[in-house]
Amino acid sequence: MYMQKILILVKKELKDSFLSPLIYILTGLFCFMMGWLFFNYLLQAKNLTSATMTQAVITPIFGNINFIFVFLCPLITMRSFAEERKQATLDLLLRSELSEMQIIIGKFISNMVLVFFMLSFTFVFPLILAFSGYSDWGVVGSSYLGIILSVMAYLSVGLFCSSLTDNQIVASLLTFCILLGSMLMVISANATDNYLLALIIQYMTIPFHYEGFVKGVLRSYSLVYFSSYLCFFFLLTLKSLQARKW
Amino acid sequence: MELRTDIAPIAIDIKNLSKTYPGRVALSDISFSVKKGSVHGFLGPNGAGKSTTMKILSGLIRESSGEFKISGKIGFLPEHPPVYPNMTVADYLEFVFAIYAPASQNKRAAVKDVMEKTGLSNVSDRLIGNLSKGYQQRVGIAQALVHSPEIIILDEPTVGLDPVAIADIRSLITKLKKDHTIIFSTHQLHDVELLCSDITLINHGKIVVSGPLEQILENLKTRMTIQARVVNFTPDDKAAMMKRFQLESLQFKFDEEKKNFLLEIIAAAPESLKKDLSHFLAADSIGLLEFSEVRLDLEELFKQMVH
Repeated sequence: MYMQKILILVKKELKDSFLSPLIYILTGLFCFMMGWLFFNYLLQAKNLTSATMTQAVITPIFGNINFIFVFLCPLITMRSFAEERKQATLDLLLRSELSEMQIIIGKFISNMVLVFFMLSFTFVFPLILAFSGYSDWGVVGSSYLGIILSVMAYLSVGLFCSSLTDNQIVASLLTFCILLGSMLMVISANATDNYLLALIIQYMTIPFHYEGFVKGVLRSYSLVYFSSYLCFFFLLTLKSLQARKW
Repeated sequence: MELRTDIAPIAIDIKNLSKTYPGRVALSDISFSVKKGSVHGFLGPNGAGKSTTMKILSGLIRESSGEFKISGKIGFLPEHPPVYPNMTVADYLEFVFAIYAPASQNKRAAVKDVMEKTGLSNVSDRLIGNLSKGYQQRVGIAQALVHSPEIIILDEPTVGLDPVAIADIRSLITKLKKDHTIIFSTHQLHDVELLCSDITLINHGKIVVSGPLEQILENLKTRMTIQARVVNFTPDDKAAMMKRFQLESLQFKFDEEKKNFLLEIIAAAPESLKKDLSHFLAADSIGLLEFSEVRLDLEELFKQMVH
């Protein structure tokens, strides 16, 4: 019953999203950029060995996918709550049998489905590599896992920022600032002389944890990091929605 | 002012409800009740606390103190209908039904029934964003009804509508009152007189009067409102009149155009007071020019009580 209520919202959100041109514009842009990058990386790869392919194509292309989603996720999540607030429908959801957390999870799942939709077009890349004998599927699998976990983190930030305002532009800019700030923390980690401080700062950044996945290394503490990140921003979003009643 | 309410089952019972925001008191210790099966008008000027009260009753905001009891499910139409412009009417109502009554299996039947009640059957496949304001308001009322609530709360259901649409909403409320308890806020006092059995008047977050409409209007007849024009009037004259005639209130202002003073006198007193007042105002020092009693209807009550 708990999930059934969430799925009602997911279904409505997906119908709304796929009837809007935004998702198709973003997907088109994403496919164009990734396709162009993949093509160039492929051309640059000299010897067609698995190691060369992983270093020359897989690692950089997934690095770029992750980076592009830093820009795309704010655009995907900006209308999640902001538009509901603007058209006075957020109160309709909050008065219903759905709890605040069910609403958050429902919106999150629908945004993840949109991301999967966009990401599904990249499955052609490893397929193309397979034709040339590429077989390092562990790296491909862990890279996709890393992308999914990173995007989940980005979407959770986007949902929180969307819940703070009724202006979609403000929501997307706020999300982008937080995500970019998180990325730029790596520079602070490199700049400090204090080794322990550098480690702590590094641990708090998404790229540090994502790096391992792209190399085919699954670290348990990275899974803990992404889970914690998600829970933290879900909690902030929950408090943001509950604050409307104060 | 508190009036005896009939002994009937109570749908909503509010006791000592308050709501404060930093630096502002939105509701101050309000108490009133809504009888089951009644149409209850909730009146007050802008910023009086009507929407705040309705949002507390529907669970959108929390009260600062006090309590309220509601016997039954609530359907709420806020001031701006909560509609999705990109959904069709039927899809929207099915969605609202699904999130408000997820355990129920009668979705299609309930939606069809509510569309017939609200006159939306012929626009069921149209996008809500493409409908006129009047029809969007009907969709808003339909979403409040679709999950079969016992109590319907409507926050200014006729605001921004043309006279034809207002008449449609009025006849819809008349239809609905047979099966539901309705509480609605409005500035259309004519609608209140036509539709409501009980009213509550609120101003500055406090209840001014609450009870059966007939009883309130009956009580008003024991009060007089007199308008008079005089040549001269001073604060000393006001003080003398207040003391001598035990008036409830006396307001006066200088009319720049006519170069005389306009007085408005409110008194709870017998008919003979009119004669005494007119004699007093006819004195040479004051100079009575006009003297008339204002008919006390709901509009006058509204103007007086929120002055």
